[in-house]
Amino acid sequence: MSTPSIKDFEAAIAELDGIVKKLEEGDLPLEQSLALYERGVQLSRFCHARLEDAERRIEILTERGELKTAPPSLSADDPDR
Amino acid sequence: MPDLFDLPFEDDRGDTEARREPQRTVAEPRKPLTVTQLTIRVRDLLESEFAEIWVEGELSNCRTWNTGHLYFTLKDAHSQIKGVIFRSAMRYLKFRPEDGLKVVARGRVSVYEPKGEYQIVCEYLEPQGYGALQLAFEQLKTRLQDEGLFDQARKRPLPALPRKIGIVTSLDGAAIRDILKVLRRRHGRAHVVIRAARVQGEGASVEIARALKALGGVPGVDVIILGRGGGSIEDLWCFNEELVARAIALCPVPVMTAVGHETDFTIADFVADFRAPTPSAAAELVIAATTEFTTRIDRLSDRLRGAVRSRVQALARRVHVLTARPAFAGVPGRFATRGRHVAESTHALAHAMRGVMLTRERRLQLIQRRLDTCDFGRRLGAVRTRLATADGRLQAAAGRRVHHADMRVRESIGRLESLSPLAVLGRGYAVCWNAERTAVLRDAAASTPGDRVRVTLSRGELECEVRETHPPGTNREA
Repeated sequence: MSTPSIKDFEAAIAELDGIVKKLEEGDLPLEQSLALYERGVQLSRFCHARLEDAERRIEILTERGELKTAPPSLSADDPDR
Repeated sequence: MPDLFDLPFEDDRGDTEARREPQRTVAEPRKPLTVTQLTIRVRDLLESEFAEIWVEGELSNCRTWNTGHLYFTLKDAHSQIKGVIFRSAMRYLKFRPEDGLKVVARGRVSVYEPKGEYQIVCEYLEPQGYGALQLAFEQLKTRLQDEGLFDQARKRPLPALPRKIGIVTSLDGAAIRDILKVLRRRHGRAHVVIRAARVQGEGASVEIARALKALGGVPGVDVIILGRGGGSIEDLWCFNEELVARAIALCPVPVMTAVGHETDFTIADFVADFRAPTPSAAAELVIAATTEFTTRIDRLSDRLRGAVRSRVQALARRVHVLTARPAFAGVPGRFATRGRHVAESTHALAHAMRGVMLTRERRLQLIQRRLDTCDFGRRLGAVRTRLATADGRLQAAAGRRVHHADMRVRESIGRLESLSPLAVLGRGYAVCWNAERTAVLRDAAASTPGDRVRVTLSRGELECEVRETHPPGTNREA
């Protein structure tokens, strides 16, 4: 159940899917159910973290190959609002 | 123009002013011209006479040399003339000269001195009866198609969660604003890397190709949108150039084109992994998968919670059923209390879990809202650290409570089961009831021969008839 076993997003979703199905079948002993639940929460947090990982950022790749923050005219909030 | 073909090597003399001069010179036996001198004079003559002419014919023997110059023969039904287009002029041709094409050429007639051949040096070629751009488009399309560059098998899927979204377009156009607007609206956290490139005019294709290459090499860029707003076919022309097509094909990550028009396809559209009708649509498509994944995870999380909740509730019901069994009626009060207690704590467990999760969710939502309105990476980092800590504590607390409650429930259920009078039957005891199954028989004297009784075994029941009664002290065997 350690973090390294969560390698990639797709795998995490697949595992979470399996856990939910197992739990929904409902024939498991309570102890096992709760262990699965714990793992499920872990996976769902991982997925959420991955989704929210990206920061909102707008960068410009210059001719020289450097990344610079975009000028405010581009990164500013929607002027239409 | 017919006299073009009559000119330099015929030996009839004296028709024109231009011809008379060299002939007079030849007539002087003591002053022969060298071949070179003669050739140069022929060249000068032709070049002054045919300094700028238009000639039409069919291309054949087209051959491009290493130098980049194109050599060809221009012919009609009766004659032919050699021709060349130098590399400098080739660059401006929108189409690729091929054998069999009818063309109109503009150029001058000159002489290739080492061979004494005259030829037309073209500055410009135009396909006859066909727009040059249209022809170029068809030619390139056929060629790239034959190479397999448009094959469906080459198309790569869009990444579900692009870490960074690359954009190649002009910083001045509407396209970049449209894309950013959609990304802002649909996925507040998109990390965008823009590489500016001119998207129309001479040199645009070179810039686009370089931009694709550069962006494709930026770590984390998982997809690239290449686009511009609508325009005339000339404006969009760079998207029909081979350089751009090849850069798309070579790009290490999927490329989505979004070139103005909804109806017109460019060569770039054919090569790209995806084609969006407009820049806004491209942005929508790129983040659609992300949105889909978010929904899927949310749904799974909900189901996860629901499943555990209903599992706990099912256990609570089981406890309830156990305590309500008729055989349980005579169990001393403290066990009944215990049973109620179990039911209550089970309920409390479900409630606590729900509560903990709701609190956590609300807290996350709150923090998330703050994150959304906060634009600065530094503050974001600080908030995220706090979020992580808070989240961790909440999680741990929830875990402890759930665990503790779980232990209590399991202990109680275990005890309840060992206390159930029915469990005794498993060890070989049986319970004997009256026929109506309303009372347990404890005294042989209460029955008379011929009575029916019921016997509950560990598994199943027997219906029996009493044949004899032996009250205490009247042991039959004694």
